[in-house]
Amino acid sequence: MNNSSALFAQFQRRLSTAGGVAHWAEDLAQAAEMIATHPALAEQRLIIPPAFAACQPWGAILPLLSARGIRLEEAETPERIADAPAGLSCAALAIAETGSVFLADNALAARIVGMLTLTHFVLVSAGQLVPLLDEAATLLQTFTRPGPQQQHYISLVTGPSRTADIERTLTIGVQGPRALCVIVVASPAPGDRSLSIQEAKDKSDEP
Amino acid sequence: MSHKEQSAHVQLLAAQRSATEPASAVHDVHAMPPFAERLQRGLSDEHMHRALERFAPSWRQSRQALFEAAETEYGSDYSFANLRQRLRSAKDEAIAHQEELVTRFKERATAAGAVVYEARSAEDANRYIYELCRHKGITLVVKSKTMVSEEIELNHYLEERGIKAVETDLGEWVAQLDHERPSHMVMPIIHKTRQQVGEILSRATGREISRENVAEQVAVIRREHRQAFLTAGMGISGANALIAESGTVMLNTNEGNGRMVTSLPPVHVVLASYDKLLPTFADAITQIRLLARSATGQPMTSYTTFITGPDRPGKEVHIILLDNGRSAMRADPRFREALRCIRCAACANICPPYQQVGGHAFGYIYSGAIGLVVTPFHHGLEAGAGPQSLCVSCNACETVCPVEIPLPSLILDVRSRVVANKGLPWLKRLIFGTLARPRLFGLLTRLAALGQWPATLGTPYVRYRYLRLFERLPGIGPLARLTRWRSLPAFALRPLRDRVGSRANLAGARQERRRPEELTVCYFAGCMTDRLYPEMGEAVIQILERCGLRVVFPRAQHCCGLPALNSGDRQHGAAMAKQTVRMLERALDESGADYIVCASTSCVVTLIQDYLRLFEDLQLQSWLNRTRALAGRIMDFTSFLLRVLVAQQRLPALRRPASGTAPVVTYHDSCQSCNCLGLRTEARQIIRDVLGLELREMTDSDVCCGFGGSTSIEHPEIAERLLTRKLRHAEETGATLLVSDNPGCLMHLRGGVDANGLPLRVLHLAQLVAEYLP
Repeated sequence: MNNSSALFAQFQRRLSTAGGVAHWAEDLAQAAEMIATHPALAEQRLIIPPAFAACQPWGAILPLLSARGIRLEEAETPERIADAPAGLSCAALAIAETGSVFLADNALAARIVGMLTLTHFVLVSAGQLVPLLDEAATLLQTFTRPGPQQQHYISLVTGPSRTADIERTLTIGVQGPRALCVIVVASPAPGDRSLSIQEAKDKSDEP
Repeated sequence: MSHKEQSAHVQLLAAQRSATEPASAVHDVHAMPPFAERLQRGLSDEHMHRALERFAPSWRQSRQALFEAAETEYGSDYSFANLRQRLRSAKDEAIAHQEELVTRFKERATAAGAVVYEARSAEDANRYIYELCRHKGITLVVKSKTMVSEEIELNHYLEERGIKAVETDLGEWVAQLDHERPSHMVMPIIHKTRQQVGEILSRATGREISRENVAEQVAVIRREHRQAFLTAGMGISGANALIAESGTVMLNTNEGNGRMVTSLPPVHVVLASYDKLLPTFADAITQIRLLARSATGQPMTSYTTFITGPDRPGKEVHIILLDNGRSAMRADPRFREALRCIRCAACANICPPYQQVGGHAFGYIYSGAIGLVVTPFHHGLEAGAGPQSLCVSCNACETVCPVEIPLPSLILDVRSRVVANKGLPWLKRLIFGTLARPRLFGLLTRLAALGQWPATLGTPYVRYRYLRLFERLPGIGPLARLTRWRSLPAFALRPLRDRVGSRANLAGARQERRRPEELTVCYFAGCMTDRLYPEMGEAVIQILERCGLRVVFPRAQHCCGLPALNSGDRQHGAAMAKQTVRMLERALDESGADYIVCASTSCVVTLIQDYLRLFEDLQLQSWLNRTRALAGRIMDFTSFLLRVLVAQQRLPALRRPASGTAPVVTYHDSCQSCNCLGLRTEARQIIRDVLGLELREMTDSDVCCGFGGSTSIEHPEIAERLLTRKLRHAEETGATLLVSDNPGCLMHLRGGVDANGLPLRVLHLAQLVAEYLP
C-alpha cells in the first residue's frame, strides 16, 4: 500500500489546506468507529445518510453505526434535516491533486445531506483515490452520457463551505457544512459494491 | 410545465422578441452615477484602497506559489504558461466554432431535459425570466452570484415587476442590502469595512449584529436565508462554463449557496453567455486549474458543480445564452480575444490604478482591465469612456491573465474609439499636433529652454516653490498644481542632438569602417532623452564608444509617437510612426549600422510591438513589412549591454568602487522593461555582477511608478499615490541610488524625489555604468 499511502498523504495535505480533514480506515468497522467518536456527534448522536437505497454500496456501514449508538435518519425533506449535526455521503472518486471528492447523486435527498448538515462525512474506497483531476474529467464524461444512468448533478467538493467576502477574513462554514471529513476506506468489503472507474465506464458503454 | 409547453413558451417569447426588440435595455432607476462622481468617491475611500493594496501582494504570492508548486510536482505541463496556453486554445476553438458548439450544447442539454433559450439582448433575457416567474406564479427568487445578472440588471427588472430576488452570496447580499453594485467580480464588497457590514446587517435584520466579529456576521446569512431557500420558486445561477460535449453547466462556488440555489427550488435558471462555452470536460478541468488560483490564490473552489439537465421529475432547468454585444465582439478580430475571459479578476487584483479607485470607477459593471475592454460592447462606448482613461498601460494585467487576453492593447483600442468618437481634449490635440511637427517641436522646446528661467531659476527642475509665485497668471495654476508633488524636468539648453558632433554624419561612418567586426550602432535616443536628459544620452554614447563601437546619431530622429498612441490619437501617432520608420531605414542604409540601440524601453516597445499592431489595424501592409524588417535590428540598451557588450567581452574592465564609498543600489523595473520585454534579471546582473555593487530589492519593484504616460496629467491623484508608494518602497531599502532603464519612469521618480527632498540619486542604468568606466 506504499503507493496509495503516498497518494493518501497528498490527498490529506491538500484537503487540509482547503479546511477539510481526511482519515484512513482499514475497513468499514474502523470507519464507523471514527464517525461514532467524532466530536460532531458528541452531543446529538444523529447522522443523516442518503436514502438507504441510494447508499447501497456502502449500506453495510449503517448497522455498524447503529451498533455504536448512532441514530440514523433518512433525509426526506430539506426542512427536516437543516442544521442536523452530521450527514453521510459516499464518493465515486477522491482526487489527490486538489483534495477533492467526487459526489454524483441524482436524488435530492442524497445531496442535501452534504448541503444542509453541519458536518459532512464522505466515504470513499481507497481504490478510487486517484492522483489527478484528469480522472474526474473521464468520469464526468462517463457519468453524463445520455441514458437512464445519466448523472444530472455532480459535485467536486473540496473542503467545507467558506467565505472571505468581509475584509478578506476567511470564515469556514457559510451556507453549507462547517466541517468536511473524508474517510478513505482501504477495504470496504464485504458488501463493497462500489464500481471502479473502469467498471463504471464499461457499464455505461453497454447499449 | 411539460417539455412541450416549455418549448411553446420559448417560441412565444422568441416571437415577442422579434416584434419588440429594443436596441438596448434602458433602465432609468438604479442609474449608474456618472464616472466623475464614482472616481471621486473611489479616490476618497481610504479603507478601500488600503484593503486592495494589502490584498494585492498576498494574492500575488499565493497565486505564484500555487502555480510553481504544481509545476514542481507534476511537470511543465502544469506550469502557468502551459496551462494558459491550453485554455486559450480551447477558448479560441470555442469562439471560432461557436455555432457548432451551441448546436451541440443545445442538443445534449435538451436531451438531458433542460430548456435552452438564446437571448439577444438584456431585455430579452430579463423578459424570459420574468415571464417564467409570471407563468408559474413565482414571487420569490433566490440567486447565487452571477455577473451576467449584474450586466442585465435583472434584480431591478424583477423588482419593478413585483418579484423579489434575494442574493444569497454573502458579499452580493450585503451589496444588495446597501443598494450597491459589486466593486470586484470575485470579492463583491472588498470596498466595505466590517463595521459597515455590521451596520448594514443590523439594519436589515432589525437585530443588533456585531460590528467587529466577522464570524457572527457570516452566521447571520445562514439563518436569514434558510427560509428563502426552502420557499423560493426559482433559483438563478450563472455558469462558469458550458460544456458542449455533454450539455453540462459548470459552477464554481465557495459558500455552499450555489448548490442550494440550483438544487432546492423547483425551477433553476442558468444565466450564461455564449463566451462560457467550452468543447470538453478536459477543457473545463484546465479552467478549474486556472480559475481559483488566478482569482483568489486558492487552489480550488470548495464546490465545483456539474449540472446536466434536471435531476428529478418535476424539476426544470432553463439555460439562457445571452448575446448582448458579444456577436459584435466576435466579429471584431481584435476584440474577439476578450471573449476568452473566465472572469477571474486577476487583471483587477494586479492593477495599480484599480487599487487606488476600486471597481466602481475602474469599470462600469464589469470591473478591472477586462471591464474597460468589454463595457463598450455591453453598455455602450459612453459608459466606457471615463473608465478607460484610468489605465496606465503598465501591462501587468496581461502577464497574469489566464487566457492571455492582450488587455492593454485592447484598452488602447477602446481609447482610440473614444477619441475617434469624441475627439481629443484641446490641450492634448495641441500637444500632439505640435509633437507631430518635428521642426516646430524643436523650435518650441528651444524657446521653452530659454524662457523657463522663472520656473527653474537655472536648476534642472520646474519646481513648485518657484511657480507658486506666478500661480495666478493664466495657464500657470494647473501647471503649478502638477509640480506640487513632483517637480518637472527643465528643457535642456543644449539638447542631445547639439552634442553629438560628427556622429550625425551617417555616410561618414560607412566610409570609415575598415573591418566587418567593427560594430556600428545607430542610436535612437527618444525625445525625452534628447530634449530633457541629454546627459543620459551622453552616457549611452560614452559606453558604446568605450567598448570600441562606432555610434551614429541620425539628426532626423524625433519622437516615436508613443504619447499620441497612448492617448488614443492614431492620426498623429501613425504620422510619427511612419516618420520614425523612414528615418531609421535611411539611417541604417546610409551608415551601414548593425544595430539600432535605444535606452528607453517605452520607445523600444512602441517600435517593435505597437507599430505592428497599428499598421495591421490601419491595413498598411507595406509599412507593416518595413517595420518587421527593422524590428529585428532594434535592441534596448540593457539587453544590448549584457548580450552584446558583456557577452562579446567588449566592455573594458570597470573601476571598482573604493570599499566603504560604494553606493547601495535599488532597482525599479519599468513596466515596459519587465512586462512587455520580459527583462527581469538583466539589469540586476549588470548591477551586481558587472558593476559589483550591492543591490537591495525594494518591495514591489515591478509595480508601476505611476507615470503611465498621459495618465499622470489626466489623473494626477493616481499618479501621485503610485509615486508615493514607489518612493516609500525605495527609501525603505536604505539605498542611496535609485536606478531604472526608462526615461519616463526616471522623470517621474526624479521629480518625486526632488519635490519631497528625499536623499536619493535617481539614475539611468547607463549613467550608473558610465560612472565606473575606466
